[in-house]
Amino acid sequence: MNIEITFETITFAIFGVLTLAGGIGVVTTRNLIHAALYLIVSLFGVAGIFILLAAPFLAAIQVLVYIGAIAILIIFGVMLTRGMTHLPERFNRQGGLAAVVVIGGFVVLLVGVILPVWGPNGAVAAEAQPIFMTTRDLGIALVDKEQFVLPFEVASVLLTAAMVGAIAIARDDESRD
Amino acid sequence: MSEFDTLASYLSVAPEIGLTILLLIVLAFSVARREVERAAVPYIAGFGMIALAALPLIFAPGDANSTIPEGLYWGGMIRYDVLAQVFRVMILLAGGITALMASGVRGVGRRGEFYIVIIVATLGMSLMSASADLVMVFVALETTSIPLYILAAFKRDDTRSAESGIKYFLFGSFASAIMLYGLSLLYGFTGQTNIYQLAAFMGSDAFANNLVPVLASMVLVVVGFGFKVSAVPFHFWTPDVYEGAPTPVTGYVSVASKAASFALLVRFFVAVYPETLALSGESLQNFWIQLMAVFAVLSMTLGNVLALSQKNIKRLLAYSSIAQAGYTLIGVAAIQSQELSIASVGFYMFMYTFTNLAAFTVVILFSEATGSETIADLAGLNRRSPWLALAMTIALLSLAGIPPTAGFFGKFFVFNAAVRSGLTWLAVVGVLNAIVALYYYLVVIKVMYVDRSEDEDKPIPVGRQYVWVLWATSLIVIVLGTVGAQTVYDWAARGAMGLFT
Amino acid sequence: MEIGIGAYVVLSAVLFTLGALGVMLRRNAIIVFMSVELMLNAANLAFVAFARQFNDVNGHLFVFFVITVAAAEVGIGLALIVAIFRTKKSINIDSMNQLKG
Repeated sequence: MNIEITFETITFAIFGVLTLAGGIGVVTTRNLIHAALYLIVSLFGVAGIFILLAAPFLAAIQVLVYIGAIAILIIFGVMLTRGMTHLPERFNRQGGLAAVVVIGGFVVLLVGVILPVWGPNGAVAAEAQPIFMTTRDLGIALVDKEQFVLPFEVASVLLTAAMVGAIAIARDDESRD
Repeated sequence: MSEFDTLASYLSVAPEIGLTILLLIVLAFSVARREVERAAVPYIAGFGMIALAALPLIFAPGDANSTIPEGLYWGGMIRYDVLAQVFRVMILLAGGITALMASGVRGVGRRGEFYIVIIVATLGMSLMSASADLVMVFVALETTSIPLYILAAFKRDDTRSAESGIKYFLFGSFASAIMLYGLSLLYGFTGQTNIYQLAAFMGSDAFANNLVPVLASMVLVVVGFGFKVSAVPFHFWTPDVYEGAPTPVTGYVSVASKAASFALLVRFFVAVYPETLALSGESLQNFWIQLMAVFAVLSMTLGNVLALSQKNIKRLLAYSSIAQAGYTLIGVAAIQSQELSIASVGFYMFMYTFTNLAAFTVVILFSEATGSETIADLAGLNRRSPWLALAMTIALLSLAGIPPTAGFFGKFFVFNAAVRSGLTWLAVVGVLNAIVALYYYLVVIKVMYVDRSEDEDKPIPVGRQYVWVLWATSLIVIVLGTVGAQTVYDWAARGAMGLFT
Repeated sequence: MEIGIGAYVVLSAVLFTLGALGVMLRRNAIIVFMSVELMLNAANLAFVAFARQFNDVNGHLFVFFVITVAAAEVGIGLALIVAIFRTKKSINIDSMNQLKG
């Protein structure tokens, strides 16, 4: 397959490398703060790819929620558990076998699934389609009673429970019952 | 569904709407200034959920002319049918009983947040039993799982509870991430998210030779389900989480979460990988039948063998619950007997829910009174509190599958389905396992009735709500084991029929 | 589109594998949790790629819900990590050994 040097390929390469480099950083670093920063790099890379895939709204959410809230919350967690920034040992003792299984699974996924389905001659035809999906469509779909209003409402109940629950388990026990 | 039927749509999620209202009521009461009002919270939550269990019965799904015809609602997000009805009733009852069970437990029962979180978990499970869209499946699964992580860690300043919570959380979120990737593959194959449309797209000509990709998606999804029902080899979290979590939570996770997962599992596999879907000349159904059969054998055998050596009653019940998941998986593997299979799964979960809740209620009362969860300490329970010992005996006999308790019919229907679908060997393995299991259940009964202890003159205090719970669950177990078996089985069989049409 | 959907899916598969390796290999609870986040992101990447492929809004909606759920999850995860650190002074998975039988 000869790859043309176009805007898309260059951008894909840049953000792809960011995503994977961040991922490798998370998995290998000994320093928890560094791990959180690597995670942010990786999440940022994914946001870039979202833009390439014509999903600007999701890219914005990715930056705002994932990087702005989730990653920052993780950094808070790291700081609250102080003294843990330098990990004595990096990996599990029984890690070898697990690594072989995971990498084996990856090869199966690559050769057995991705190549035949989305490869150059894959089952799901790779024809370029015009983009006519907008953020407006997304917003309508979210509250349309024939589309996603039910999971949307359920997600709000879930967030309520998570909020109540997080306070209930993390709060110091000042008033014993 | 041509046009949006407002009334039917709302009635199809009536239990969920009810649970949300109940959530707000409980929230208001748990921050009330007066102690009396706060003390009412467990009863409001408990009886509220039990009352809501009537909703699926009142607004029963029916044929095309009824108020709520069976079918897809909310843009295909859920499918309201008899199967969903059966599982919703048992999940709501389990939630209500758990709230009542928790009311007397130190460090848990007086905290209103506990009931808020348990109501949300019940809502998630209720939706799981009806989900018909990949998005809804994922959201419902997480609405179940995340509250359960919270509940497992609910005992503050109790290391074991916190440890149980974090183990459950890490394994659970790992399993759901794997499952999510499987769902993304399914979406990538078809461009559809409704589970009733996936099979048609995967069966199209373009896909005729792509057996491996579809199998890969199946394996990824199985990991998620295997974790939720604690089937071997995805069971390793179960004993630790069950032992460390507050006991009412253990009871709840062992029954309601398992029941909801089985409801979703049969719906998902029958719809997405049906018998008619054959790729490269291989029926997809045969693959998951074999997968389920292997998991069933492993779960039963490992669960029962490891249960033999347990000293802690909660750990014993944890391994027992792994084995029970194995028996239920026999029912799933027997899918070729059509509605017999699904009906046996439904009945098994129905009877297991009440059986296990009864057993855990006794464990709660005992450990609250004595501070012990060791089996040997149950000695002389018969002389301390004969009714408690009797309730525990009924529960254990039902878990073992001895008539006249419900467990007998549970196992009978499952094995029957296996034989009818040509899996006689699986039924034989199941029977052998039931014999092994009988041993450790009888040991507990022997300890309660035969062994002597120094505390025999100290009866176990039993609160009023616990008396109700024990009476209700024990009676249901006996009724399901005698006159009620056929009724509930027929009900589940009607639900099963809807799955194949 | 010159590079086709395959490249995006491969990227997502590599990211997923990295996350899975992190979960299997690392011993620190926070790192394990971050690796799970990597896996969720891999799935999101795949969903958006497929949505582009089919020009379908459902994939985007799915990602929306995954991000919402991840936010709830991270809140709970950190509450749990704080709770266990308070009692144990460690978040190493190997030190969680009170429950054994």
